[in-house]
Amino acid sequence: MRNIVTPSTHHAFSGLTRRLLPAALLGALLSSQLAAAQPIVNGITAATDQAKIPTQSKARKDTVVAAINEPQGVFNPYFFHNGWDENVTDVIFVRLVNLDKQGRPVPELAESWQVSKDGLAYTLKLRKGLTYSDGSPLTAQDVAFTLTVLHDPSYDGETDIGLAHIKGGADYKAGKAASIAGLKVIDAQTIQITTTEPGATTLRLIGGPVLSKAYYGQGYQRGKLDGVRALGGKPLGAGPFVYDKYVPGQEVRFHANARYFRGKPAVGNFIYRITSDATKLQLLQTGETDYDGFAVNPDNIEQLKSLGFANINLYNSSDYSLIEFNHRKPYLKDLKVRQALIYGLDRQKLVDVVYQGYGSVATVPVTPISWAYTTSGINPYKFDPAKARALLDADGWKPGSDGIRVKNGQRLSLTLLATKSLFNDALIPIAKESYKAIGVELKPEVSDFNSLIGKQKAGNYDLATYRTSNLDDPHQGVEEFTSTQSRIKSAYNNPQLDKLVAAANSTLDLNVRKQRYQQLYQQFANDPPVILLAYRKILSASNARVSGFSPNVYNGIIASLPQLKIAQ
Amino acid sequence: MRQFILRRLLMMVPTLLGASAVIFFLFALTPGDFVDGNYMLTEARSRELKALYGLDQPVLQRYLTWLGQLLHGDLGFSLQYQIPVTQLLDQYLWHSFLLSLTVLLLYWGLSLAIGISSALRPYSWYDRLVTLAVFAAMSFPVFFLCLLLIKWFAVDLQWLPVGGMQSTGSEATGLARIGEIALHMVLPVLALVMLQSGSLTRYVRASMLEALRLDCVRTARAKGLKERTVILRHALRNALLPLITLLGLELPGLFSGAIITEKLFNWPGVGHIHVDSLAARDYPVLMGFTLFLAVLTIVGNLLADILYAAVDPRVRLR
Repeated sequence: MRNIVTPSTHHAFSGLTRRLLPAALLGALLSSQLAAAQPIVNGITAATDQAKIPTQSKARKDTVVAAINEPQGVFNPYFFHNGWDENVTDVIFVRLVNLDKQGRPVPELAESWQVSKDGLAYTLKLRKGLTYSDGSPLTAQDVAFTLTVLHDPSYDGETDIGLAHIKGGADYKAGKAASIAGLKVIDAQTIQITTTEPGATTLRLIGGPVLSKAYYGQGYQRGKLDGVRALGGKPLGAGPFVYDKYVPGQEVRFHANARYFRGKPAVGNFIYRITSDATKLQLLQTGETDYDGFAVNPDNIEQLKSLGFANINLYNSSDYSLIEFNHRKPYLKDLKVRQALIYGLDRQKLVDVVYQGYGSVATVPVTPISWAYTTSGINPYKFDPAKARALLDADGWKPGSDGIRVKNGQRLSLTLLATKSLFNDALIPIAKESYKAIGVELKPEVSDFNSLIGKQKAGNYDLATYRTSNLDDPHQGVEEFTSTQSRIKSAYNNPQLDKLVAAANSTLDLNVRKQRYQQLYQQFANDPPVILLAYRKILSASNARVSGFSPNVYNGIIASLPQLKIAQ
Repeated sequence: MRQFILRRLLMMVPTLLGASAVIFFLFALTPGDFVDGNYMLTEARSRELKALYGLDQPVLQRYLTWLGQLLHGDLGFSLQYQIPVTQLLDQYLWHSFLLSLTVLLLYWGLSLAIGISSALRPYSWYDRLVTLAVFAAMSFPVFFLCLLLIKWFAVDLQWLPVGGMQSTGSEATGLARIGEIALHMVLPVLALVMLQSGSLTRYVRASMLEALRLDCVRTARAKGLKERTVILRHALRNALLPLITLLGLELPGLFSGAIITEKLFNWPGVGHIHVDSLAARDYPVLMGFTLFLAVLTIVGNLLADILYAAVDPRVRLR
């Protein structure tokens, strides 16, 4: 759910971006023809002219200003409803277990963890001498308290702890037990968590940020989270920076945490300033911000390069776009039709138009930077309209008088649910054209995201397109296609895939998981539940006066914060 | 007069009730709800959350619950911001009000001055030039004008800040703070005044032209009154009458926020809260704020009627 500072989430569309989009697309199309600029590669492209560093930014001797889009003031890592608030809490709180730049779990507050042979019991060992920013100790009791809050019947946040299957969790939620049986505090540094089902994503769920029981737990009783909720604007954590102040609609301020377990950060103050897509470049240019994210395209890259003083960061995102089939429709249950719809769609053209060299066609439901990514033995469904036509012919779909195929009186005319976005402004005409050439009619229905999901749940649609959230674990990309865990009743049912998903999620051994995901992705491609569309990259830039920014999709800039240094 | 006001105030009750029902059902029947926005949720968790928020209940019952709360003066609790709706609006509303009021005063003043002066010399060079300038200003696309102003004054000349309401990390208080806010207001105010004064100027000009042709103005001149008195006391008063209705309609606009301009200048106004709450289906905020604007619209109309009666003795309120 993390938002990397970029116009990325479905929630982030504003009236403004909607109005600007057609013009932006036109610009993008034109520039793809004209710009003969040098493309940049993943990693950091260093600033070329330090002398151009704006004076306004040089005046900030001990403060770094990074950009954020729309925080909403709920600064509790388990209570926000908005990925931007998560970016704020990530500065204040630390996770027990974090992810490295390829998405592998690494120790953070927890110095180590052990999993029992049957994969059900987790023993987490905390580092010694951990404290919150106010000096109070951070112990295993706090971990137990945090997990208890998540099981509270009145808890309405974004974390679905139910997926961890902690023993006794459901009983506590239902009021059948006074505490959670599966949580056992062994000593101040050690907690054992027992689950009823093995799961590779469990560690991520139980290894999140820790809430202080002494601070948040005052007066807590089962069913009464008002006290915890009321502290949403007064967070206390153990992170690199301490929260100072939130000025709604303007900025969030922090100062360095002298008690941070990796040592006090070198930069004394950190500010998240709220910026918008239309003027973020100007803010970086005048030196009002030190770091911001931008839409990836050659235009933006050229402009950032021309600033001279900007270090440009380019890295892969962990999300991808897709078109979902409604498997409740008999003609989409038909494998040959689904395959024809993938072969018949010119995805490369889509990627070229939208990302202009900074994206690629998606072939498996995981990002290319993940440890689980593989393409070996997996059908890439290269664009092949002839093959698509042959598949439909063989399946008995005959072109009608208007060129649209018909079988048993059913016309192959499909509705596509989509939101308004730059991506879909390109997808819709390209898909329409591609599909017309193979005798399929496409009827787009554009609405906002909640409407799209609402219509999808109601079931009256054929295709729906959206981009996933940033996914931390490959399991998150496939779990929705199992018959037991389905998020949306798309009615896709493949018992073999069910088994493979469960198998790949049943161990924490990455080598074993990697093999199992390869088999799973083969099966996924053979009986595709969706059309995978595109992977994309993320572009950000920082003022060269600040060194140490090395963002990646799993941590954003958070991992860089303790390392930041201001050149004097 | 008092009876008229009382009666109109009483009539507000059924009007508002009707408005609230229309607003509520319109929003409630839009596909997708607050929980749907998070597509990662499993079905089981999604059902739990809908039950927690009461979204699983029939729409009519949800409306009555909301109405019951409203009658106790409670606008409810924002689902996404997790603070009371009144507190949320209080954080942003006054910023929009400050901007809109400044713009309103400036563009009404400007439009009146330009409209009247050009009506006094119709079809002169001055009139033609003003008409051209006014049309040019109002025909700019909002975002283009704003970005152009930012490029000139903030990026190239560096006289004014790019956006926001205060300098980043500012600890200014008192006069220094007022100065800082004023500096941040210059560009958005300039943009909004340019965009809005056009149509009003045309209104004033037309209304004034019409007033100058009235019999009473001719009579006044025939009496030998000074031209200044003729214009200000006789023509202008008549010309202002139709403008009162327009002024009344400005009231909700003072609080609703100029969405695009505020967004472009990062002004922490209420406009984007309204748009966000619609996108996220944050019903309490959406309902509370829309209803607030409905109240202001009705009050604005009432004020216009009362003012009308006060300045025009021919109108008798009953």
